[in-house]
Amino acid sequence: MAALGARRVLRPGRRWFSETVPAAPSAPASPLYPPVVASITAKSKAAKSRRLQRFNERVHAAATVEEKLRLYGKLQRPKYMVYPQTFALNADLWYRSFTKTVLVPGMPPRTPAAKPPVATAGATSETGRAPEPRAEAPGDAEAPGAAKIPEPSAGAAPYPDIGELRSLACDALLQESFYQNKKRPFLYRDQDHTPGPFLTQLVSTLAASLSGRNPLLAASSLDLNPEVNYYWHHGKEVVVHGHRKGRVDPVRFQIDDNPHLQIRVPKQLPEVVPLESDLGDVPVIDHKPSKLPLFKKQYENKVFIGSKVADPCCYGHTQFHLLPDKLKRERFIKERLEDQIEVVYRSNGIASLFAWTAAQAMYQGFWNEADVTRPFVSQAVVTDGKYFAFFCYQLNTLALTAETIENNPRKNICWATDSKPLYDVVENGNVKGFNDEVLLRLVHFLLNRPKEL
Amino acid sequence: YPLFQRGGPQLRIFRPNFFMLAVRPGVPQPEDTVQFRVSMEMTKLDIRNYLERIYNVPVAAVRTRIQYGANNKRNHRNQRVKKPDYKVAYVQLGQGQTFQFPNLFPEKEQDAETRSFDDFRDKYMEKEKQKEEGDPRRGGVPDWFGL
Repeated sequence: MAALGARRVLRPGRRWFSETVPAAPSAPASPLYPPVVASITAKSKAAKSRRLQRFNERVHAAATVEEKLRLYGKLQRPKYMVYPQTFALNADLWYRSFTKTVLVPGMPPRTPAAKPPVATAGATSETGRAPEPRAEAPGDAEAPGAAKIPEPSAGAAPYPDIGELRSLACDALLQESFYQNKKRPFLYRDQDHTPGPFLTQLVSTLAASLSGRNPLLAASSLDLNPEVNYYWHHGKEVVVHGHRKGRVDPVRFQIDDNPHLQIRVPKQLPEVVPLESDLGDVPVIDHKPSKLPLFKKQYENKVFIGSKVADPCCYGHTQFHLLPDKLKRERFIKERLEDQIEVVYRSNGIASLFAWTAAQAMYQGFWNEADVTRPFVSQAVVTDGKYFAFFCYQLNTLALTAETIENNPRKNICWATDSKPLYDVVENGNVKGFNDEVLLRLVHFLLNRPKEL
Repeated sequence: YPLFQRGGPQLRIFRPNFFMLAVRPGVPQPEDTVQFRVSMEMTKLDIRNYLERIYNVPVAAVRTRIQYGANNKRNHRNQRVKKPDYKVAYVQLGQGQTFQFPNLFPEKEQDAETRSFDDFRDKYMEKEKQKEEGDPRRGGVPDWFGL
C-alpha cells in the first residue's frame, strides 16, 4: 500500500499535496518559427513589394557610389528617351510634369556677398554690382585657345571693367564672324560654323578673366562637348504588348544630353531658397508621354555628370547649350509658331539642368529612396548664337517614383528668363547694338560662388 | 504628280481628290490633337495645306502612320480576307485651339409616355423569361417529370 501510494505520488501530473507552481517557461532566446512574410517568387502584389523592398535594401547597403549606380540602372527595360532640344509643341509643360519642376519667370534675387574687404553695391541692382578684385593667377583646365588676359592688379577698381569684358566679347564675336576667313557653311551646319566657336571662345575668355575674382572658377574644370545622362522612374503604367502584358510597371525616362560647354566645380553652389519652399504648381498631364510625342527604346541606363565619380569637381556650376539648326527662330516664324520659340529654350533648360543636378545628387549617394538632404543648384545658358536665355535650377527632391512621390511635398524649382539678343548685327568689323544686360547677367552667372569663398 | 525639278513651276492642286475623315481616337489624345483617317497617298505637307487652305484651320504639327489591315479572316472558301490599310494622321492645332470629338449618340430625354412604355416592355420581358424557366418552386425540375 505504501509502495502503491508512493508510486502514485511519484506519477507525474497529480501532485495534490505539493503546491509548487510550475516555473514559467523561460523566454526563448530566438523565436521558434521564422516570421510569416509574403513569398518572394509568387505572382502577387505582396511578393512584388517584397522583391522591391529587397532591391531597395541591396542598394542602401551598397558600399560605394559606383556600386549603387550599377545596381540602380541594372535592369534594362524599354524607356522614354527625353530630348532636351526638341521640336515637340508645348514640351516644357510635359517636361515639368515628368520632373516635378515649378517654373518661376525671372532670375532669383541675388544675395549680397558677405566679403569683408569689399563694400558691395545694392544687392538686387543688376548694373554696377561688382565683386572684389583678387590678384590670383587666372587658370582654367582644358581651355584651348583661351587668350591669356593680364591679371587685374591688386587694389584696382573694385568693379570689373564692363568695357573690358565687352571688348572681350566683341573680339570673340568679330574674330569668328568677320576676321576669320571661313568657307560657306555646309547645309544645316550653320551653328557649328560660327556660333559654336564664338560661344566656346567667349566662355573660356570670360572665365579666364573672371577667375581672378572668383576662386571657384580658378579651381573649376571646363568641359568641351561633354555628355550628361540621367535615368529615373516617374508614375505607373500598364504594359500593353508583349509577354509582360498586363503588369503594372513604373514609367522610365532617360535623358542623354550633350551641352556645348560645361563648368564643373569642387564646391557646391549655395541654395537659393530653402529646401521645402513652394513657389508654384507643377502641371499635371493625364495622357501617356507617347502623345507628346516621346518614343521608347531599351539601352543602357546611364547616370553621368560629365566626369566619373572619383573626379574632385563633382558639383555643377554652369552649362552652355547651343540650339541646333533644326530649332532656329526663322523656322518657327515661318511656320507661324512664335510662341514655341520660348518653349524650346525652356524645355532645354529644364531637362538639361534636371538631368545634371539629379546626376550630381546620385554621385553623392542620394537616390529616390534616399532623398537629398541639401538642395543642388546649377545654372545654364541656352543660346542660338545671338539670343541668350538664362536658367537657374534648384533640385529639392529626387523621389519621383509612384511610391515615393505620394508623401513628398517638395518640388524642384527652375528660374528662367526670356531669350534676349546679345547684339543686333555685325557688319564691317563693328558690332552694332551690343546689349550690356545680357553680358552682365552672364558675368554674374560666372561669378556665382558659395558664401564662404 | 509631275516630278519637281529646279526652276520648274510650283505644284498646285486646285480640286484635290483626297478625303479626310475625322475619327474618334481609340486612346485618349491631348486636347489640341485631332485624329484623321486620310488617303494613303497623302503626305504631311498635303494634310497641312489641305486643312489650312480649304478649311482655314491653323495647323501646328502633323504626324502620320500607316495602319496595316489584318489578313487573318477567312471567307466561306477558306481564302484570307484582308481588311484595307489606311493612313492615320494626328494633327496638332495651332493658336491654342482645342478639339473634343463630339458625342454622336447622346442619351435622349425620355418623356412620361416613353418611360411608361419602357417599364411595360421590361415587365413583359420579365414575365416571358419566367414562363420559359418554369415554376421556381419545382427547383429546376422540368414539368414533364412527374406522375
